[in-house]
Amino acid sequence: MSFLYPLFLLGALAVAIPIVLHLLRRDVAPDVPFTAVRLLRKSPVDRSRRRRLRDLLLLAARVTALVLLAAAFARPYSPRADAAAAGLRIVAVDRSFSMAAPGRFAAALDLARSAIGEAGFAERIAVIAFDERAEVVALPGGAADARAAVSTLAPGHGATRYAAVIEKATELASGGPATLVVVSDLQRAGWDGEIRAQAPVSLTIDVRNAGMPTVNLAVADLRTDKAGVVVAVRNGSASARQGTVTLAHNGATVGRAPFNAEAESSVDVTVPWKVAASGSISATIEDPDGFPSDNTRHLVLTRAGTPTVMVVQSGEASGFFLLRALDAAGGSFEAKAVTGPEIAGGRAHEISTQAAVILLSTRNLDRAARDAIVGFVRTGGGLFIAAAPEVEPGVIAAMFGWDVAGFTVDPAPRQVSMATTDVRHPLFRPFGGLAANLGQINFHQTWRVRPDQWHVPAQFSDGSPAVLDRSEGAGRVVLFASDVDRRWNDFPLHPAFVPFAVEAVRYLSTRRDATQDILVSRVPTGLVPAPGVQTLPDGRPVAVNVDLRESSTAVLAPAEFAAAVERVAPLAEAPRDAIKAEQTEARQNLWQYGLMLMLVALAAESFAGRP
Amino acid sequence: MGAASAARDLRFLDPAILSRLGTMELKARTVVEGFLSGLHRSPYKGFSVEFAEYRQYLPGDDLSTLDWKVYARTDRYYVKKYEEETNLECHLLLDQSASMAYRGTAPMSKLEYGSVLAGSLAFLMHRQRDATGLIAFDEQIRFRLPAASRPGHLHALLLALERLQAGQRSDVARPLHQLAEALLKRSLVVLISDLLDDPEPVIKGLKHLRFRGTDVVVFQVLDPDELTFPFRGASKFKDLETAQEVVADPARARTAYLRELTGLTLQYDRELRGAGIDYVQLDTSQPLDFALLTYLSARSKRK
Repeated sequence: MSFLYPLFLLGALAVAIPIVLHLLRRDVAPDVPFTAVRLLRKSPVDRSRRRRLRDLLLLAARVTALVLLAAAFARPYSPRADAAAAGLRIVAVDRSFSMAAPGRFAAALDLARSAIGEAGFAERIAVIAFDERAEVVALPGGAADARAAVSTLAPGHGATRYAAVIEKATELASGGPATLVVVSDLQRAGWDGEIRAQAPVSLTIDVRNAGMPTVNLAVADLRTDKAGVVVAVRNGSASARQGTVTLAHNGATVGRAPFNAEAESSVDVTVPWKVAASGSISATIEDPDGFPSDNTRHLVLTRAGTPTVMVVQSGEASGFFLLRALDAAGGSFEAKAVTGPEIAGGRAHEISTQAAVILLSTRNLDRAARDAIVGFVRTGGGLFIAAAPEVEPGVIAAMFGWDVAGFTVDPAPRQVSMATTDVRHPLFRPFGGLAANLGQINFHQTWRVRPDQWHVPAQFSDGSPAVLDRSEGAGRVVLFASDVDRRWNDFPLHPAFVPFAVEAVRYLSTRRDATQDILVSRVPTGLVPAPGVQTLPDGRPVAVNVDLRESSTAVLAPAEFAAAVERVAPLAEAPRDAIKAEQTEARQNLWQYGLMLMLVALAAESFAGRP
Repeated sequence: MGAASAARDLRFLDPAILSRLGTMELKARTVVEGFLSGLHRSPYKGFSVEFAEYRQYLPGDDLSTLDWKVYARTDRYYVKKYEEETNLECHLLLDQSASMAYRGTAPMSKLEYGSVLAGSLAFLMHRQRDATGLIAFDEQIRFRLPAASRPGHLHALLLALERLQAGQRSDVARPLHQLAEALLKRSLVVLISDLLDDPEPVIKGLKHLRFRGTDVVVFQVLDPDELTFPFRGASKFKDLETAQEVVADPARARTAYLRELTGLTLQYDRELRGAGIDYVQLDTSQPLDFALLTYLSARSKRK
């Protein structure tokens, strides 16, 4: 027997109170002068013995009650009993949409049941269902509960993420010995984009293959074009596949187009249709052997059409390179250059209709225009500021109420380069490993910005911020601390300039309150985590689509799976033991029995104490 | 006499009333006169055989007292009046041991009650011109007043009773044997004690007296506490004479105690009655009339 909080046992010293009282009060019977003591003496000796016995019983009951109370507070548990039930088997069943391929999930359930059946005597079994999230559907317990939980499982619309299940299993095992049985179709995409999962060495991982996917067709993309709707079909099969894309608008079929996709490749199919101004469209293909969830993709049509970007320029700061870079985005944006005088005098209302504003000059920008830009940002718009010679730091700071002391211009030329500090920032994420090429750009003059309240995804080689990002009201401001017109650097001549400009504008033009396309795994509360067009709480339609990484047919070998998990030492012994003791105690709940016994002792004390 | 009048007279036999009275003589007189007034038609009247006078019959007189010879001679109804004998010698043995000083919830201690009883008996005997003596004892005889019937004797006896103090341990048998050896003529011995000693020697001493032809009346005087054991709560009972201590819970010890007391009483009753000795148990919270009636009964038997 061990105790979780043994210091509470000191409370048992309170038993001294009834014992001392018993000893002190043993002879406190008052003297009573009497005459017939001779008659009394003949029989009361036995009575006195009985009384002493009763006193002892009372004392025993009181002492027992106090000891039990102290023991209950000390939270007793039996480590031996826990040792008997030390084994934990965690059965994790993949319920991503790839498991909905014909016959695959049934096979997975069979594997899960057999894994449960392999559990040893007294081994506890937990069941986890996972896709992007790992959900414990049966807490550690008996096989019957685990089987019942397994029988309720069904494939969903999520994508496989192995890290989630590894993390959940580690949490369940709590550092103790455990076996994780992963029942999955072992898609390689389950590790994509994941930080390497860590698992303690005490967690044995047993991978069961429920049938690797070999064929699948998926609608990978859906976009509108002047000619109609362009549907990208991805063929993950080892052989070419043919079929028909069916386009529906608001549920009604509006067009069809055949496709012929080579093995392991994608093909764009244009379905001729005059794109409607509103509503939603969906493209569907037939794929009876693949994964059903990725056979349809949805898109919400907006009236806005191509987003426009306003570039505020002046004579010197023409924005020539930037405008060309945006033109190269393939029509994703419609850039429009304006000068300060053109939006002055109350003609700045056009700003509010822009997807983003690029500020290359503050010259001749009157108060109305400045206020319009600030209002645009604070209501959810995106602003890109390039630290050109024509941009006055004081004007920028005054516009937004920032501390002007946080912005200074290099007094003299210098030679620095740029490096990303946050490759996960949306602005640099598409660069991937190519972000290192940004170091080849030569900068000879910059702003020096104090990074208070700014996020700095890139900085110059001398440590000063190069790209800064911050929230302003409901919108966002990105500040590039150098010129984009090749006067302070050679960035516009660099191959990275075009993607940088496009991603910056794309990032800023994505209004956070205007999302129209989300993944199943990120649907907000209240929406069904299934593909389709759904309505947000604010009444806006949103297209919910599956994560296309799950459409991949690339698979892992079980050994590769195990190798992808980084083995770490279990938690330090003492904390692990403490956690284990707490869990053992919580399972046994012996303190409740202690309190019940204490009540019994008190009842016995009341009974024995009756006159 | 009406019931109300009888109740008023009996009131003076109540120990609570008597305890407030002054001298022993007053107490004894109150008891005896109150008692006698309640014996208006008592059959105990006139046990003496000594003729006193004739008196004309009045309606209500006992027909057994009519002198038919006088009626034959004079043709008138006369009843005979007797004067009680004066040749009876009575010894009052009063236990003055420490246990007799016990007073529980009753208005008088056993010694006071016994003293009033002894005084009352002496007063009654004196009225009947019997010679009355007093022996007070504990483990030995502490006071002795020889039997006599002269007028000043009663006063001396009552005075002695009034001055009695509780003594040491009791030894009832010892004065009984001493008295049995000392008595030269048949007498009446009245023992007043709580008889809480070992009963065997007491019974032996009383039988010794009886063997010598003495009439014996035994009054066992007990406090209500001794009769009912009404104590509550665990207590250490300390004997007034032996200083023995017994710790007991009265609630649990009561039944056994009362069983022992009943056994003791039954033993006295059985042994003494078998030896022709009157044995009466008295409760100090009760009036004294019962004791006096018992005495008169014993007195009448001696005729």
